[in-house]
Amino acid sequence: MNILASFEWIKEYVDLEGVTPEQVASRLSLSGPGVERLYPQGTEWDRIVIGHVTTVEAHPQADKLRITSVDVGSKTLRIVCGGSNVKVDQWVVVAMLGARVKWHGEGELVELKPIEIRGAASEGMICAANEVGLFDAFPHGEAEILDVGEVFPERAFIAGQPLAAFLEVQKDTVLDIEVTTNRPDAMCMQGLAREIAVVLDRPFKPVVPMPIEEGEKTLNVSINTEDCQRFMAVRVDGVTVAHSPWWLKRRLLSAGIRPINTLVDIGNYVMLELGQPMHAYDADKVNGSLTAKKAEAGQAMKALDGKTYDLDTTMLVIADEEKPVAIAGIMGGEETAITLETTSVVFEAATFNEVNIRRTSRKLHLTSESQSLFEKGLSTEALPIALARAVELCLTLAGGRVVTNIADQQTLPYKAVARAMHVEKINELIFGKQDSETLSKNTISSEDMEAILTRLGFEPVGTKNGVLSACVPWWRAHDIEADRDLVEEIARIYGYVNIPPHFPAGISGSTRDPSLVFEDRLKTLLKGLGFTELMSYSFVSRELLERAQINPEVCLRVQNPLSNDFEYMRPSLMPSLIQAVSENQERFPRQYVFELSNVYQQKKGDLPAEQPELVLGLTGASDAWNRLKGRVEAIFRECGIQVDAWRRLENDPWWHPGRSMQAMVNGNVLATVGEWHPRLAERWKLNAPLAVAQMRVADLLAVTQFSKTYKPLPLFPESTRDLALVVDEALTIETVQRVIEEANEPLLRDVAWFDVYRGQGVAPGRKSLAFHLVFSHPERTLETAEVDTAFARIRRLCVEQLNAGER
Amino acid sequence: MQQKLEQLKQDALRALQSVTAPDALEAWEVAFLGRRGALATLMKGLATVSPEERPLLGAKANEVKLGLEQTLVEVKTKIEGARWEKKLEEERVDITQPGQLIETGHLHIMTQAIREITEIFERAGFVRSRHPEVDWDYYAFEALNMPKDHPARDEWETFFMDAPIDEKMGKMVLTPHTSNAQVRELQKREFPVRMINIGKCYRRQIDSTHVPMFHQFEGLYVDKGVSVADLRGILDYFVKAFFGPTRVTRLRPFHFRFTEPSFEIDISCGVCQGTGRVDGQKCRMCKRGWLELGGAGMVHPNVLHAAGLSDAEYSGFAFGWGVERTYSMKEGMNIDDLRTIYKNDVRFLQQF
Repeated sequence: MNILASFEWIKEYVDLEGVTPEQVASRLSLSGPGVERLYPQGTEWDRIVIGHVTTVEAHPQADKLRITSVDVGSKTLRIVCGGSNVKVDQWVVVAMLGARVKWHGEGELVELKPIEIRGAASEGMICAANEVGLFDAFPHGEAEILDVGEVFPERAFIAGQPLAAFLEVQKDTVLDIEVTTNRPDAMCMQGLAREIAVVLDRPFKPVVPMPIEEGEKTLNVSINTEDCQRFMAVRVDGVTVAHSPWWLKRRLLSAGIRPINTLVDIGNYVMLELGQPMHAYDADKVNGSLTAKKAEAGQAMKALDGKTYDLDTTMLVIADEEKPVAIAGIMGGEETAITLETTSVVFEAATFNEVNIRRTSRKLHLTSESQSLFEKGLSTEALPIALARAVELCLTLAGGRVVTNIADQQTLPYKAVARAMHVEKINELIFGKQDSETLSKNTISSEDMEAILTRLGFEPVGTKNGVLSACVPWWRAHDIEADRDLVEEIARIYGYVNIPPHFPAGISGSTRDPSLVFEDRLKTLLKGLGFTELMSYSFVSRELLERAQINPEVCLRVQNPLSNDFEYMRPSLMPSLIQAVSENQERFPRQYVFELSNVYQQKKGDLPAEQPELVLGLTGASDAWNRLKGRVEAIFRECGIQVDAWRRLENDPWWHPGRSMQAMVNGNVLATVGEWHPRLAERWKLNAPLAVAQMRVADLLAVTQFSKTYKPLPLFPESTRDLALVVDEALTIETVQRVIEEANEPLLRDVAWFDVYRGQGVAPGRKSLAFHLVFSHPERTLETAEVDTAFARIRRLCVEQLNAGER
Repeated sequence: MQQKLEQLKQDALRALQSVTAPDALEAWEVAFLGRRGALATLMKGLATVSPEERPLLGAKANEVKLGLEQTLVEVKTKIEGARWEKKLEEERVDITQPGQLIETGHLHIMTQAIREITEIFERAGFVRSRHPEVDWDYYAFEALNMPKDHPARDEWETFFMDAPIDEKMGKMVLTPHTSNAQVRELQKREFPVRMINIGKCYRRQIDSTHVPMFHQFEGLYVDKGVSVADLRGILDYFVKAFFGPTRVTRLRPFHFRFTEPSFEIDISCGVCQGTGRVDGQKCRMCKRGWLELGGAGMVHPNVLHAAGLSDAEYSGFAFGWGVERTYSMKEGMNIDDLRTIYKNDVRFLQQF
């Protein structure tokens, strides 16, 4: 949570004489909450000054405009003004030429230039509060300029004094500080001041309010739920509610809170100062005593934001004897709210269960400054101080008298906890194990540790038998949860920059995951084969699955998807691949793409199987299937995989029945390659045939031969003959090859198909297949006659068995 | 005789003048200098001259022969040169014609980032491991010191699976961080644990700086006596290897449930060199000279306990950072909309 903290305000609780906001920001960020930005105050009020209206005349051309003379010290400006309340001898805010203002309080800041308004020249502008960003401080009606004399009756004015100086903000800087959720104690001015005091080693000046002098009347509060740990209240009568003085408004505004009236502002001020949210009720509108309890079924309450909230029995409320008067810790009710007519007030300070506050807030979609503090977890021990502080401010700013006792109910007594750790262990965690030589250099002494903790408010702190023990201050009870937490407190204040880095050389106790290494190898290979890698989201839409004829019901579903597009964990990468190809096809008619990612298969009663899958897509060629098959074969070659056979795949909705095949290894399907079924391709409006391939990486890895075996190079020359056979169209290359191999020719070393020909010289319904036949002998050079004989025998066999002709 | 020799020399040189082709030159050589050529024939007549004249004529003949041979070499060189010159001239090409278009493949930017990170950590003795993306609540939260009611769990904006709840392990979730690997890895008991886990994570957020699926890399080092100083050592090493040798790191206090102490890691900005200002203006890349890299910390004792380890015996550090974010912080890699990374637009993919 980010806190806006006025540097001048912070200085009330810590002596920062001679320290700049920049210095605080740099030091605090390294040892405490991070300061993200600095906002020097009043800079937007350059050339905006206090002016004195000396003459007001009617504008000859416009009823609603006046021509004024305004004394701004060094000179008198002639300004055309539309303010309905402008008058002679009035002190006003003047924006001189070159100043930047917000026209009518709206839009961006605009720089003032010399201008003629209805024929009359104007050398500046008399500002309304909303034109200089002061509307929240000085609310006003339409077309009313800010009458400074009226809102600051007690002040003396100097014509020409810069507005920033007049409002005493010019020396201030607001720090935007990120406080982590575990540190609600630092989400207030006093808490930040404490951190700054410790980090910069400066004196800390905590708030010590005047004790409350109790009155004679009786005020009862009760707690009727275990989710309220403490509930305090006190009543003050005879108050006068008005607008707060400027210094109070200014502090609230600097923290981003809008001033309302004295009593409401006091509550917010105490919250900002001490981090303890407060609430104030108009005592005359509260019926009987207050109780913290769960709401009753069917109850509703109109809150301060003007909206009515339906409550349920899990939600904490503060109720009088009739009705809920506040959604506890989140927002008060409108009915009992403080107004300018209020004369009697009940101040409440309470502590609530953080989980309950959080859940109620989420359920009601209702947030507030108060709720965001309560849901971090606050201490019961803050209440007496906060209540006393509120009463003190009330008596000063709104008058009145405390008329009741201080009601105080507590369901969970507070007990301070001590944490302890070995000094040696603390040092070891920070600096590492040390030998005797470096020991003195890189350690924090127990005295220094004690000093750090004491400055942070731990009390008592001590070391006995090498064990450091420290009692946790109440404001840190929520975040110092265990002994280990002492290490952070000591190390951060000591300074992480002061810990010398040490590179821990060594090797891991585990070995590389072979499948990860394999995946990486495959990707390198595919890049080399010209493929571009895709990466899609792991979840897909129901529509995409159905388009690919995958039954969504068998897929793992996300219970709370971001949208329908991200609903099912994909059981295959194929639909995403097809989608990507279709989206790119207009720009890239030729695509070589692949994805290698996990797919998810549901398993009963267990986590799903997450298996890496590899899919490839190739488009932009009429023989796409063949090009892709060749590349899949290249993968196999690279992996040392011998395919037993390619089997035709005919009855699968994904695959073109005439152009799809599966590589068989050891009787199992290793990969499927073919053309995406044209019937499905139409659903993606694919422009051209798309060849795809699919395989499981684990299957591939299982049959991959990483080790190579050396074969001696042939000692004697090989002899190659080409065999061309004209056969029936239906006859496969594999069949011819088998016949050649089954000839069992001892001199035949290798057979390789290299061409198919149809056309002139070959009868329709027939095709010519051509093969390279390689002959050799391991021990001698072959005679031409020998090769001729062997070749002739093979040719004869083919002609006989395959009804083949020759070209 | 002498005259004849001189005549032969003149004839030969004259004949040579019209020779331009290699075969003509060969014919010339045969005709004049060959075994049965003109000079040889003339030399046979040497036997008939008087013994007094013989040495003189011999010397003269030799001189003619050497002269012609030398001229032959010269002419041969010239002809050869002309032949090559002609051939090479004919083979001259337009070198501004672009080379044959080779369509090369491209690995996804995330694959390249993961590879780079893996290699850097492998050099430091960390080994990449594989852990589930769909995991139990137990590993994703519970074992990481995040009890059920803890508000920290709201921050993760977790995706839940439509699957039965396991009595011990809780709900099935899409892991919102790679930290689910921590207890799983520790349970393997392969010490020292020096793990780098890089994987897909999921959170319910999508805008220009968030994608619902992204990658994190998680480092975990658990052994006896692991310290904050070790974490600093590894961080410095990684940042210099990944971003460049001039970059430095700093730790700031932060809060995470599964580490104590916890840190936010900043690296010095590469644009303003850590000064926060470029040409007198505020640096637009960073906050006051520093860029937030991500979180880290010393493994919380409760996490060690969840893995059945004693925090008196073991300690460790862990960090987990977004791969997309970290890679975007590299110079020239400032991807303004992270969603582009998973759109599969080939124009984007081909840039890497």
